[in-house]
Amino acid sequence: MSKIYGEAETEVRALDNVSFSVKKGEFVLVIGSSGSGKSTLLNMIGLLDRPTEGRVLVDGFDTSDLTDNEISAFRNKKLGFVFQFANLLADLTVLENVLLPSQIQFDSTTNNRAKEILEKVGLKDQLFKRANKISGGQAQRAAIARGLVNNPTIVLADEPTGNLDSVTAKNVIEVMKKMAKDLGQTFIVVTHERAQFGDVDRIITIKDGRAFEGEHSPELEVVA
Amino acid sequence: MDYRLHLAKRMLVNKRGSLIGAVLAVSIGILVINVNFVIFQGIYDAIVRDMSEYRFGDIYVYDEEKSTIEKSDIVLINWFERIPGVEAATPRLEASATAETRILGQQHEKFNVPVLGVDPISDIRTSTIHETVGDGQYVYARNSIVVGESVASDLGGCSRGCSFMSGGETDPTATADVDLGDCQPVRVGDSVKLTITDQWGIDQKKRFVVTGISGTAGGQGFDRSVIIHIDTLRDMLDRSGESRSIMVRLQESVSPHDAKQIKNQFLRAFPNDNLRAETIEESAESTLSGFKSGIAMINLIGYFGMGSSAFAILTIQMMLVNSKTREIGIMRAIGARRKDILIIFIMQGMIIGAMGAGAGTALGLGYTTYAKITNMEFQGSLALEVNYNWQKIGETAFLAFILAMIASIYPSYRATKKQPVEAMRSV
Ligand SMILES: Nc1ncnc2c1ncn2[C@@H]1O[C@H](COP(=O)(O)OP(=O)(O)OP(=O)(O)O)[C@@H](O)[C@H]1O
Ligand SMILES: [Mg+2]
Repeated sequence: MSKIYGEAETEVRALDNVSFSVKKGEFVLVIGSSGSGKSTLLNMIGLLDRPTEGRVLVDGFDTSDLTDNEISAFRNKKLGFVFQFANLLADLTVLENVLLPSQIQFDSTTNNRAKEILEKVGLKDQLFKRANKISGGQAQRAAIARGLVNNPTIVLADEPTGNLDSVTAKNVIEVMKKMAKDLGQTFIVVTHERAQFGDVDRIITIKDGRAFEGEHSPELEVVA
Repeated sequence: MDYRLHLAKRMLVNKRGSLIGAVLAVSIGILVINVNFVIFQGIYDAIVRDMSEYRFGDIYVYDEEKSTIEKSDIVLINWFERIPGVEAATPRLEASATAETRILGQQHEKFNVPVLGVDPISDIRTSTIHETVGDGQYVYARNSIVVGESVASDLGGCSRGCSFMSGGETDPTATADVDLGDCQPVRVGDSVKLTITDQWGIDQKKRFVVTGISGTAGGQGFDRSVIIHIDTLRDMLDRSGESRSIMVRLQESVSPHDAKQIKNQFLRAFPNDNLRAETIEESAESTLSGFKSGIAMINLIGYFGMGSSAFAILTIQMMLVNSKTREIGIMRAIGARRKDILIIFIMQGMIIGAMGAGAGTALGLGYTTYAKITNMEFQGSLALEVNYNWQKIGETAFLAFILAMIASIYPSYRATKKQPVEAMRSV
């Protein structure tokens, strides 16, 4: 797919004929320099924006023709999101934040699952704290828990550690990798800090809107 | 509980300043309308009350063409007093007279005054005008006269720029030193001479003894008239048995609708006597129609006030929505539909509306109760007739609630237009 911002002379080709597939349960790292198109790519996969050309298939299902409401429902059930900052709604408690994706579907049966996941990400003692009263690392872990609560097909994370110090970042990354392993959960994570992640299943490098398999090297072959 | 309501509540509670501002805006709008109602409807009702008590009764009967009813008042009154729900009825006669008085042997003033003729026995049962006699007593004999407060002061020369002195406060020993031209209101025991032109054009003169001074708050009574026995007035006018009007008092329990029925029944009973009858509502309608449109005008101003509270809510809600741009983006990203976002902010408007309506109505009721128990007076004269008009109170609260909700529609709609990606880019 491709994504072009703007028109004519101000046009920016943020994604240029990118095409790849991710297997279920894979932990994929997306790296690349600033402005290369990583966030754009993630937004397309997350159906937060529509590609100019091409399409996104999830579980073999073509998402191009979904209506706005269908996209909302799709995001809610099939996708989990972790953003760089202020992921949580400050007006709610940690637990309420994690419950929100299921409450949006008027599903009130996830209380126990939410608590379980919060325990797994190490927030057992923070359930009833207001979301703006916990640390940045805790907030990111809560966001991961929220991303997982509906048992989605993919969790998308855009620089989830970009705002954290290296010790906290390590801890959050560990939590993500642990969840991926424990739950067999697919993750696509955008990062600047390749080194912090250590071993991952797969790395995709974005350069000038084009995607390459693997790490560094300017002469990477285009992913078919 | 619906998470949307929960979220709407939490977002408001955490923006206490905006919440208080918005609730105040709504409640002040309601308070203004309530206060307006208490004052202006209170004055209106007080005037109607006094009109009914002093002049018109609950049903007022008069001749369609002539200045007097020629049919015997006894027949008419007997008819009324047989009807269930009728408390009493009384005849009244009116004329105009020249009044003069002597104080300390000196003639003071000569005035034209309206004269009211009453039948003391039935009048006391029909009207409360006798209660307005603060000093002395009501008409009880053929030669007694009750003088209105203003007339008493005018006859005493007090209208010529002198300060008013009530009879009671004047030191009797000091009167000897008073200059002849000085202000000295007519008092009980003084005599007043009335000159009345009878129906044949002949002046009839008669001397009366002042038995009482009548005064009312707001001058709604007969402060500018004199009151004498109806038969004395009939004699002077040579209109034996005639009346200007019949004033009918109904029992408290009789509704305006039943009053109308009684009126119509009366008109059917006397089809050939050229009589007209009005209920107090009808009398007030024709007399106070100008006042009524004034009230409507002032109410309109109140509703404009409410409109500006709606505008304040619109502004506050816009601010709230803009301050929640990121939160809206997150909610959209995790699957909230546009409709959910719309509902959250409209619910906020409903919470503001409900709280404002509650607080405003409480304040309004507080003011109304205060006005009622203190017998609030307007400009120190007419005591307001304060009533709890529950329908109006309810309508005002409901309107405020609806307005708060409507004012939230546009901001809420704007909230749904926020795209998740863009929303999240704004830090
Ligand atoms: N809404 C937009 N309108 C116009 N241009 C945009 C928009 N969003 C992104 N771009 C442009 O598209 C290109 C890719 O942006 P993107 O945000 O995807 O980069 P990125 O790899 O995520 O960068 P970073 O590492 O700094 O987050 C950039 O040149 C950017 O300026
Ligand atoms: Mg980015």
